[in-house]
Amino acid sequence: MADWSYIPQVLVSGLGIGCVYGLIGIGFCVIYNASGIVNFAQGAFVMLGGMITQVLFSRSGVPLPVAALIAIAAVAVLGVAIERVVVRPLWNRKATMFVMILATLAAQIVIERLTLIAVGDQPKTLPVFTDRPPLMFGSVAVGYQLIWIVGGSLAIVGLLAAFFGLTRTGKAMRACSINREAAALQGIPVSRMLALAFALSAALGAIAGILITPTQYTAFNVGVPFAISGFIAAIVGGFGRPFGAFLGGLLLGLLQALAIVGFGAGLKNVAALSVLLLFLFIRPSGILGAAK
Amino acid sequence: MSPAVAARTQVGAPPPILAATGLSARYGHVEALHGVDLHIGEGELVAVLGPNGAGKSTLLRAIMGLSVNSGEVRFRGDVLPRSDAVAVASRGIVLVPEGRGLFAPMSVSDNLELGAYRLRDKAEFNRRRERVLTLFPRLKERLGQAAGSMSGGEQQMLALGRALMAGPKLLLLDEPSLGLAPRVTGEILETLGLLNREGLAIVLVEQKAPLALELASRVYLLSLGRIVAELDPRDITSHDDLAQHYFA
Repeated sequence: MADWSYIPQVLVSGLGIGCVYGLIGIGFCVIYNASGIVNFAQGAFVMLGGMITQVLFSRSGVPLPVAALIAIAAVAVLGVAIERVVVRPLWNRKATMFVMILATLAAQIVIERLTLIAVGDQPKTLPVFTDRPPLMFGSVAVGYQLIWIVGGSLAIVGLLAAFFGLTRTGKAMRACSINREAAALQGIPVSRMLALAFALSAALGAIAGILITPTQYTAFNVGVPFAISGFIAAIVGGFGRPFGAFLGGLLLGLLQALAIVGFGAGLKNVAALSVLLLFLFIRPSGILGAAK
Repeated sequence: MSPAVAARTQVGAPPPILAATGLSARYGHVEALHGVDLHIGEGELVAVLGPNGAGKSTLLRAIMGLSVNSGEVRFRGDVLPRSDAVAVASRGIVLVPEGRGLFAPMSVSDNLELGAYRLRDKAEFNRRRERVLTLFPRLKERLGQAAGSMSGGEQQMLALGRALMAGPKLLLLDEPSLGLAPRVTGEILETLGLLNREGLAIVLVEQKAPLALELASRVYLLSLGRIVAELDPRDITSHDDLAQHYFA
């Protein structure tokens, strides 16, 4: 039986991974709201965020913050490229949700394999952003990377709230999600909003990947598990509700951490999928209620 | 084109703000609009009347390029794209669609702001907003309220206000009176009359003929996807006149 005295410590680490799931979940929602598409290439953005930063930092000696910014920008550009090359042609032909999921999943696999060819299959990691001993709160140790993850995620959620609530472009993106046709009638460039959604969502994924890499590792194949967790976070929060997705991510991170202590690490994904099933059975519209 | 229309569009007359030729539209394999010709003069208020299912909404949607359509639509002489509503709206043609198309969860203020999405001039933005709030003082009291939480009449005022925020050159209205109390309908039509007297060209689609006839300078009758008559509203004295045309 597990030692339950670890619980506070476990919850703290669950909070960190939960924030990352939350950011990925928000990425799903942003694209879904702009287009009704569930983008399963989301995991590739997470993987590439960590991977590009790592390659620039370790191989080319670029300072870490600069490497991170370049990675975020590069992944955002890739997001737009996927929108143009993969999603747009299908969207114009009014492809079904099922086709979209397959197409974006295919994009995910292509990116994953190209990364494998480019950098090999060895896991890589980044140094923590602040290299100091963890802060102690009683018996609970809080590492600086965790503070970076939680602080960074909250800052991003705050910035997103300001973007969607206060700027005209953010409001226009919301308008597209509420009624795309009415948005077009206001002269809002609906298709440009879709590209913007992909850029934003890709950047969010990259940030999540960069924040989490120092505490774990990154490799060509970490994308899909992150995408699945982020997707569950989005479902639990209420699909299409960015802030619900963040809450969903936190809940999922905490439950997974508890499951690891209670039942062992092998059941981490069982816990995540059980949460998904539970919500699909009992409250399919999620914590905040689905957007549509 | 009927001889009467042809005579009116001949030399000497200014080019119409909008002219459609052979405009057809379809939903899937069903054609709902069959080669419609119409023209709207600068500053004119034209009513399009017809029974339910005549293709009135389809006509407006086809002008905007929202439905799959063919034919030619010219705006002040320039050919409009046929499947790009954003581009058509950007020219200053604003449709208030059936069901109003408000962004229901967003505030009244945000809805108005999005109407002026393409406007970057802050001073002009404030002028238009002030103007809309003067026309519809009730919106002023509800700026922070979610658009969807207002009464039908207030929502229609917001839809019209949002359209005016775009600084339209031509306003297309799809049954603005639908589901509204007569008093509220009266208020809205009064405002439309005012806007038209200031020079705004308006196409007013209605099922309730009497309301539209008071304002319109010309009336098109639409039936089964075709324009069956073009009338002077003064010649229409009773509902029977209209019915005769529908079934002629």
